[in-house]
This record gives sequence, C-alpha cells and structure tokens, in this order.
Amino acid sequence: MSIEVRGLNKKFGDFVALDDVNVSIPTGQLTALLGPSGGGKSTLLRIIAGLEKGDSGTVNIEGVDATNLPAQKRNVGFVFQHYAVFKHMTVAKNVAFGLEIRKRPKDEIEHRVDELLKLVHLSQFSHRLPSQLSGGQRQRMALARALAVEPSVLLLDEPFGALDAKVRKELRDWLRRLHDDVHVTTVFVTHDQEEALEVADEIVVVNEGRVEQVGTPDQLYDEPANDFVMSFLGEVTHLGGVSLRPHDIELDTQPRLAGGVEGTVSRMVRIGFEVRLTVLTVDGDEVSVVVTRTHARSFGLEEGSTVWLTPADGATLIPRMAVAG
Amino acid sequence: MADTLIHDIVEPAPVEQRLRPPRVRKTPTTYILRFIATAYLFFLVAWPVSLVVTHTFDDGFSSIQALLSDPDTVVALELSAYVAVFSVVINTIFGVGISMLLVRQQFPGKRLLNALLDIPLSVSPIVVGLALVLVYSGRNGWFGPILSDIGFQIIFSTPGIIMATTFVALPLMIRELVPVLEEIGIEQEQAAQSLGANAMQRFWRITLPSIKWGIVYGVVLTLARSLGEFGAVKVVSGNILGQTRTATLVVEEKYLNFDPQGAYATAFLLAMVSVACIVVVAIIRPKNHH
Repeated sequence: MSIEVRGLNKKFGDFVALDDVNVSIPTGQLTALLGPSGGGKSTLLRIIAGLEKGDSGTVNIEGVDATNLPAQKRNVGFVFQHYAVFKHMTVAKNVAFGLEIRKRPKDEIEHRVDELLKLVHLSQFSHRLPSQLSGGQRQRMALARALAVEPSVLLLDEPFGALDAKVRKELRDWLRRLHDDVHVTTVFVTHDQEEALEVADEIVVVNEGRVEQVGTPDQLYDEPANDFVMSFLGEVTHLGGVSLRPHDIELDTQPRLAGGVEGTVSRMVRIGFEVRLTVLTVDGDEVSVVVTRTHARSFGLEEGSTVWLTPADGATLIPRMAVAG
Repeated sequence: MADTLIHDIVEPAPVEQRLRPPRVRKTPTTYILRFIATAYLFFLVAWPVSLVVTHTFDDGFSSIQALLSDPDTVVALELSAYVAVFSVVINTIFGVGISMLLVRQQFPGKRLLNALLDIPLSVSPIVVGLALVLVYSGRNGWFGPILSDIGFQIIFSTPGIIMATTFVALPLMIRELVPVLEEIGIEQEQAAQSLGANAMQRFWRITLPSIKWGIVYGVVLTLARSLGEFGAVKVVSGNILGQTRTATLVVEEKYLNFDPQGAYATAFLLAMVSVACIVVVAIIRPKNHH
C-alpha cells in the first residue's frame, strides 16, 4: 500500500470534516476520492499532502510516517483546482521549479523540463507566461510541474473542476492515458461520479467525513454497500423493502409474476427512446420506473393505468435504510 | 496620469487588447463630466503647483543655484533625503511583515491592530510629534531620560526625526500590500511547498516576486510622504540650523523670512523628487499590473 491513513479526525470549529477515516491507497493505481461537496474528500487529500494538519490519526506514505512531516518533505505532487501557477514565471520555469529547489544540475533540469513539456503537449509554449495559456493548458502545465520532482504520490484536487465540459472530458481521457504511461500512484478528488467511474481503478466514496465504501467502479456500481453509495452513483428508487435502479424494475399490466406490487401510473414522461414513469403503489410508495418506448407502447400504458412491478432478475438490490440517501 | 503615460509610450500587448472594455459611446454628458473633472483638478492641483514652478524660474536658474550654494540648505536637503531613505527601509521591512501577518494569520486583536495602523493617517502629524516628545523627551519624557542617561538622544536629534517620519508614513506600504497579498492568495505558495520549497525559498521565489509592484508603489508613496513630512518633524526636531532642519522646515523658514523665491525653489525640488519617482515607476512597470 502506498498511502495508509489511520484513524484520521479533523474539525473546523464545530464542523466535523473527517470522522475516524481509515483508507489504504494501493501503489501505482489511479484512485478517485468521490463524494458530494463538503463531504471531506478535499480535506483528506490536503492532509495527505501536508497542506492541512489532522487533529488526530496518522498518515503513512510509502512506508514512512508522514503525520508530522511538513509538506515540502513528503515528496508528493499536488495539483490544485485553480492551477496555482506561478504567474511571474514562464511555463518552463514553472516546471523547473521543484528541480531548481532540489539544486539539480542545469543541463539535467533543462532536459527533464523538455521531456515533461513534450509529455503534456506544451513544448511550443515553454517561453510563454501562464497568463497566455488557456485553462486546460495551465492545468497540464501544473501537472508537468508536479511530475517533475518524481513524486512518490500524485494528488489532484478537483483537477478539472474549473474547466468547461468539453476540455474536462478531453483532459480526463488524457489523464487516464498519462497514468498508464507514468504509473505513479495517483489520487484525485472529484464530485462527478461519471468522471470517477470512467477514469479510476479504484474509488473511495467519502460522505459526511466518513468513508462509505472502497472498491473498483464495477464493485461500487453492482454491489453498493449502502443506500448512499447506490444513490450517489446513479438514480435510485424504492420498491417494497429494497432500493434499486429504475431501469431494473419489470412492469406488467397483469399480476403474472409472484411478488408483484400493484400500483397506478401517475405520471409519464417520454425522453427519446425511454419513458419515465411515476407509479403510486398500493403500499403508498412512489416508485420511478424506466422502460423503453416500445415496451410502454406494447402495454398500451397511459396515466391512470394499473400495473404490477417486480425487481428484474439480476438487479442490484439493497435493503432500504430508514433514512434514504 | 500614470495610465496616459504608459499608453503613449508602449503599445499594449494583444492579450491586453482583448480584455479592454468596448469603447463607450460619447454623449453630451460624457463631455460635461470630463469638463468638470478636468476643471476640478486644474483649480485644485495643476494650477497651484504650476505656479510654484513658474515662480521658481522667475529669474531663470538663479534661485536654484542660490539654494544649492547655501551650505545650510544643502545640509537640510541631505538630512531630508537621509531621513526619507531610513523611513522607507524601515516601513518596507515592517510593512511586508505586518501585511503578511494581517492577511495570512488569524489572531485575537487582529481588528484592533488593523484599526491602529490607520491612526497615523487619521491623526494630525503635530499630535504624532507631541506624542513622541511625551515619551522620548530627554528631560521629562516617559522613556527619554533613561535613553538620555546612556547617551542616546532622540528628541531634537535625527533619530526623533526618523521616528516621526516613519510613524507618519507607516500605513502607506501596508495599505498598498494588503490587497495585493489578498489577491494572490496562498495557493502558489502551497504549490511551491509541495514542490519542496521551505519558508525562505517560498518567500524569495514566490511571495516577493508576486508583490514586487505593490512594494514599488509602497516605496514611492512612502518616499514622497517622508520627504514632505512637516508637522511631526517640526515638533520633534527642534529646528536646529545645519543639524536638525529638514527641507520642509527650510521652506517654512524662508517663507516666513520674506524669501519667497528661496521657499518656492526648495518646494520645487521636493515636489520634483516625488513626481520623478511616480513617472519612473509608471514607465518601468509592466502593463498587466494595475
């Protein structure tokens, strides 16, 4: 394990940012810290980097106890949401900063900076100032700067959060490919479940200062540990005593299947090929169901129709919690 | 004025051009507002100051020559320069420190400190002078006799003049730096820290270059204020000819002694130093700094 966090607590005044957090981050993988805003994931990342100090608990990086180590001695690369470029230095100088601090020989620095700028496709901009770059270019520069010092772990705090949707998508794919080339242990914070599911090898779901679940994207999606994880990774509805995805409900106009729950269609919205239904069951539940347009037509569904609902075979079901997420 | 200077001399970079707001359509109101602003500045600043210049050169350069050939006046000008340089150095070092403290740290009494820093601007310099006399006077001051006993005289001597000047010019550097520090934030320094830079390296390589122009402006304002200080200095200096008489005191002295020509000439020299500072900074500063 590359990063081991044990029993970490952090309060800001009365607000509990982290509540007894234990996480192990595997070496060489791309791990996402996923969760809603204010859930504590950025705080966790900043404590790992040493930019913030936990109230109690330990942080271990590559077998070294880093709990009381200042940030400059942890050898971590950190990438900020708003890039944190050195505005008064050229792109090349920005990337060279860490190496100059480490007093590496001049020609070695020059060589390494060239190499990194090539890696992030910024070679032709090496003499520009950051103010002459676009947001996406600045973030790539910041990434090159963090990689220059060959950090043992690379930490990215909502790295694409300030970029527009298109650039965001490009950089996301690019980060995945970069990681496949460079293989440095990488942790990135995001509140975007699609980003995490698409890019990460492993996802740590953080909510209200606690780790809800750790697993691969498939594990999280197929076997969510609780209602929160399930609802955070996609749409969720409740049928009988369980939570499940709206497209995992089978619908029939006759009580043909055992255990079917009777209800009335109260609302019908068609979006392209799919039809979203709201069904009021006899138990008093309001259930969302998604069916295909063809399916809906073959049953002759309309508002007021009586239907029977059952969970589909192989659907992800989890017992419904008292307080739904 | 600084802005017009810049545009006349250097062409704006392409990036700048894009950021400039679109040209506003000119209406009669625009011209009326312009006229009022210009007239206001003319009657309040430009005309009186230009009269000082024209009076100085009534007889060509003779008044300036006369001034510079008077050893007492030369000593006074030197003393003013000496005091101003000291005040600038002290206020720069403490200004940077206090500004960083105010922006970066949370501590009890921060608001009080912030309010105290404005006192030199809000209190009359005469009061500042009297306050310093109360504390440091060699005969009956609160702290002065002790210093006097070990042979250190503050009031009626150069240290007193430096203290009074520094006090009066204290907030200028801080008020210049605080907004700059707030704007740059601490992320750049945190990035530098994660790249291995220690506190000293972060200060010299990141913070200082980022606030460079704020410091330059602070220095110019402090220098101009220090050279022009009169009230506080008059109280603490004792106005000893050839020893503790500064240039501003010379202006008053000459004016009261029916030598308006000499007074104008000295005033002109003082004003020129300040104007020169502002012009030099306006020329050398990069365009993307406001």
